[in-house]
Amino acid sequence: MGKLVAYRLAFAVPQLIIISIVVFSLTYLVPGSPAAAMLGTAATPESIAQVEAQLGLDRPPVERFVEWFGALLTGDLGTSFRSGTPVADMLVERVPATLSIVFGGMLVALLIGVGAGVFTGTRPGTPADRIVTGGTVLGLAIPEFWLGLILTTVFAVQLGWIPIIAWTPLTEDPLGWAVGIILPSIALGLTGGAIIARQTRAAMVTSMASPFTDTLTAAGVPRRVQVMRYGVKNSLVPVLASAGVTFAILIGVSFVVEKVFALPGLGTLMLSSVISQDFAVVQGVVMVTAVLVIAVNLLLDIGYGLINPQARPQ
Amino acid sequence: MSTSATVGAAAADSPAPRQARSAAQAWRRLTRQPATLFGLLVVVALVVCAVFAPLIAPYAPEATDFDAAMSGPTAAHPLGTDDLGRDLLSQLIFGARTALLVAGGSVLVAMLIGVPLGLLLGYKGGWYDRLGARGLDIADALPGLTVGFVVIAVLGRGILVLILAIGLIFCMNFARLTRAITLGERKKLYVESARVSGLTHRQVIFGQVLPNLAGPLAVQGAVFLGSAIKVEAALSFLGLGLGEDQPSWGGMLGVAAEHQADHPWMAIAPGVAIVLTVLAFNLLGDGINDALSGRRRTPYRRTRLMGRAVPQRGEQDPTLDSVPAQESASAADADTLLDVRDLRIVADKPDGSSVVLVDGVSLSVRRGEIMGLLGESGSGKSMLAKAILGLLPAGVRVDSGSVTLDGRTLTGCTENELRSVRGTGLGAVFQNPQANLSPVHTVGRQLVDVIRAHGTTSTKQARARAAELLELVGVDDVGRRLDQYPYQFSGGMAQRVAIAIALAGEPDLLILDEATSALDVTTQSQVLDLVLDLRERLDMGIINITHDLGVAAETCDRVAVLFRGDLLEVDEVHTLFDHPSHPYTAALLAAHPTADHDVDRLPTIPDDLVVDGALTGK
Amino acid sequence: MTDTQPLLDVRDLRVDYDVAGAASWRRRTLTVVKGISFDIAPGETYGLVGESGSGKSTTGRAILRLAETSGGSIRFDGQDLADLPRETPLSYRRDVQAIYQDPAASLNPRHRVGRAVTETLARHGTRGAEARRRAVEAFDQVGLGEEYLDRFPSQMSGGQLQRVAIARALVLDPRLVICDEAVSALDLSTQSQIINLLRDLQEARGMSYLFITHDLGVVRHISHRVGVLRRGELVEQGRTGELFDDPRDEYTRSLLAASPAAHPAGREQRRALRQAARRAAAPAA
Repeated sequence: MGKLVAYRLAFAVPQLIIISIVVFSLTYLVPGSPAAAMLGTAATPESIAQVEAQLGLDRPPVERFVEWFGALLTGDLGTSFRSGTPVADMLVERVPATLSIVFGGMLVALLIGVGAGVFTGTRPGTPADRIVTGGTVLGLAIPEFWLGLILTTVFAVQLGWIPIIAWTPLTEDPLGWAVGIILPSIALGLTGGAIIARQTRAAMVTSMASPFTDTLTAAGVPRRVQVMRYGVKNSLVPVLASAGVTFAILIGVSFVVEKVFALPGLGTLMLSSVISQDFAVVQGVVMVTAVLVIAVNLLLDIGYGLINPQARPQ
Repeated sequence: MSTSATVGAAAADSPAPRQARSAAQAWRRLTRQPATLFGLLVVVALVVCAVFAPLIAPYAPEATDFDAAMSGPTAAHPLGTDDLGRDLLSQLIFGARTALLVAGGSVLVAMLIGVPLGLLLGYKGGWYDRLGARGLDIADALPGLTVGFVVIAVLGRGILVLILAIGLIFCMNFARLTRAITLGERKKLYVESARVSGLTHRQVIFGQVLPNLAGPLAVQGAVFLGSAIKVEAALSFLGLGLGEDQPSWGGMLGVAAEHQADHPWMAIAPGVAIVLTVLAFNLLGDGINDALSGRRRTPYRRTRLMGRAVPQRGEQDPTLDSVPAQESASAADADTLLDVRDLRIVADKPDGSSVVLVDGVSLSVRRGEIMGLLGESGSGKSMLAKAILGLLPAGVRVDSGSVTLDGRTLTGCTENELRSVRGTGLGAVFQNPQANLSPVHTVGRQLVDVIRAHGTTSTKQARARAAELLELVGVDDVGRRLDQYPYQFSGGMAQRVAIAIALAGEPDLLILDEATSALDVTTQSQVLDLVLDLRERLDMGIINITHDLGVAAETCDRVAVLFRGDLLEVDEVHTLFDHPSHPYTAALLAAHPTADHDVDRLPTIPDDLVVDGALTGK
Repeated sequence: MTDTQPLLDVRDLRVDYDVAGAASWRRRTLTVVKGISFDIAPGETYGLVGESGSGKSTTGRAILRLAETSGGSIRFDGQDLADLPRETPLSYRRDVQAIYQDPAASLNPRHRVGRAVTETLARHGTRGAEARRRAVEAFDQVGLGEEYLDRFPSQMSGGQLQRVAIARALVLDPRLVICDEAVSALDLSTQSQIINLLRDLQEARGMSYLFITHDLGVVRHISHRVGVLRRGELVEQGRTGELFDDPRDEYTRSLLAASPAAHPAGREQRRALRQAARRAAAPAA
């Protein structure tokens, strides 16, 4: 088991390095220069050169990358082009809100997805299956931010059950925090749940159709045990895989949903930075996102190894 | 590790899918499903809207009318207006144009980048592929929308950037799909045989791989068209998409969000438009998938009851001259364990007719006897076993006849009643050793679960019994083996475990369904010897189903010969081999090449013995 | 027979196989064929017998140049295969053909079966009406009527599909045909027909077969000489009758003993012998 963790970590490192290289090269891909973009109409060759020197944009790429990467490792992600505040500080301030709704959304997605998936997977073709599966097809089509909009309109604006500006940090008021993330979690989780439900259903149908179920049935093992123990565990790997994919998707979507719920998360930060071409911040957000996704996938891989003995390195 | 979440990943809804053989057939199948037809119609309507937008929309989308700003639905403006007085219905219609343009463009970009990349990785293999697969994995670390943000940050806004951004988001998925299919096709036997015949790489790619790629790409493309619309809506909602003056559904929702408090209705129309469109593309994708693979959604039938117990005579097959054989000995022996009477098993076809799989078979098995069920594929021998166990697949049922075990009638029992018999009265071992066991549970766990299903509640006791059973079937080092997984067992060992599982409930009758056919000759011999030993020690009745004459000769006391659902003869084994009463059996025996004597030319089963699939009784 | 040169001459053949572990950057190499030597004369059938994992299929693939060798040599008609260019020349593809175990899998399910033959012909320069004529002829020689040319694999039985595969292999008039478990997936009744067909064709055309199988009964009927493979090593080889009647190697003997007999007579004794052998092999009981 320790071997498995070591292998996966070993792979995560080059993965992060390559992503950081890609992220870093963004500034070189911009047509024109970021300095010119920042200065806008006030740009003159002298002022551009001045800003570039200020930001250190005139030094050779490799040197800048090494310096940047080194700073990255110590937690220094540079300073925002626009505001001059350290990027790391901005990120730290914003990560909690994003993480809250993403994990809330994952929880909802897993509950709905696995529940619906096991339910439909054990009775494929029945009317109940048709209805629930139809629901998942519909769920896949609903934009999350639109759902969030509808939810706030109904529950916050019209019914007033939940305050319109609902975000409270966990550390301040746990109950308020929980209430605040209910609606965004549902908005994110419904579509995520649809993805997981479909994968789970397929995996369950395959598992229950496997020959070993014949062996168990012929030996007199009750169907409930077959489903809950054998069907589910044999389906776990594809289900976890779909959960991993869903997590990555949800992070991206959470950036959009934030706007609907006026949450102080990474999304709004990213949005303003994209518009103002503040690459230091953009790079920072991308790195944080990548780290989160890689970390979750690492945990999942360990999970696969625990479930499926053949996935472990020999 | 990463999966491409394709719509249509749902597995078998009905048995035996058939590849669509022509575009016409695929089209017919496509339009037959109501859901798919709906999707198709919506897409067509959308395209019409997009193309003829200037003709359909009542106003120009950017035409302002400050007097009518923020009006709710009125006669002049069925969907209302926005804060600048622009007609929302017109914006909606023109939004369709934007949506399709961006979606189509981005999927095209994604395919143009992803498909050649996937082909290269999949076909070249080796280092290219290893590196490429790693590259795909790395790209997974970035969620789609994040990539979109980054591209827009770098290149600015505008419709072309949007198309490129969304295209980049999806290109990796196409690459992955193409690579997977190419790898799969390259390994296929008919591709290898084509190479052996001298076909070049290029011919293989264009002749074999690409045709097999077209279908999945169409499915994936349809689904991604929907996803692209969602992404475009999200980006436009945030103001990162098109300019203010270009109508888009996402943009409309952005405006709606600003007026959420006082004009909540503004969010409905564009949202519904998006949902409908994405739904249509998803349904279309699903439909294409089903049409190409021939999968049909038939109603689910789980055979719970086993048909009538009252025997009924079906019609005789008119081409059959000989009377179906029955046992010559008297049926009701005190020693008779299993008694099958006139069992008739049919499979129901979707069009209402049925095919007879087993036609009025009668036989009996005594305690301590090994009865061989000999037959080739299509003889019905497996169905017979499944019927006895109550494990007939959906759509197959007992039409008439009865099965009695130790005096207790099994036909007509409910699932619960059968469960009490399974394991304690009946046991079974099936053909494929590794497939018989759950790969993610230890052998000990599976044994314990079976043991506990028959009364033992304490795990400790169950584990002790499991150890006993493994020793009984000849597994060494039992303590260690109990905690091992099936993949750590060789074929023969895994099959011994399956036998242990079957014996856990101490059944009176053990059914072996081609249990040694997948094993090597030496392993087969060991497992068969084990079965012979167990028969002596436990005095069980055993049914040994096989197609191998040699297996029947070595192990069985009596042999029943089956052909296309008919029982041709039942004899004591020496009699069968020395004086077979049916010409088919005789021909089978003569045609069997064996290692212990040589014959110049193998006699074959004469062609006139089998006419139109039925036996002539010559 | 004046030519002393064998058609196929395999010397110390060694084939390695890359096994990807769970973490795919760690590769172990497994030696599947560990230095075997045998030869096949023109017009002769050589049976290569072994259980799973013995390396028999891999040997066939190496001869077909579908697997890379890591040692030893394979000479066809005097020509060392290692000297041939990487993209196998058409002449070799014409001379050496193959028939596989699963007839349905060896044919493209989307194409009509006749196309398998005509495509092969096209590749070697014969097209159009001439190709079709030769395809009809090939089908006729394997006992299939002309109407089968336009059928799809899904419309035909296993035995018929194997005949198509044989037709495809034969249409180029090869000198050596590798039969890899060619009859193992067929029903007993079909098996004997195909075996007889293969023998008849050999008599008519004088080609050689490398008959790879695990079935001792089948190999006895079709082979002139037999080689027994065990875990990549050739433990014994010789003329069929001699090898079967008087095996010299321990493994060959146990293989023969384990093969199910043709008749129940004497089975009690055979069982007793096996039990005795087992007890002798494991004295600590």
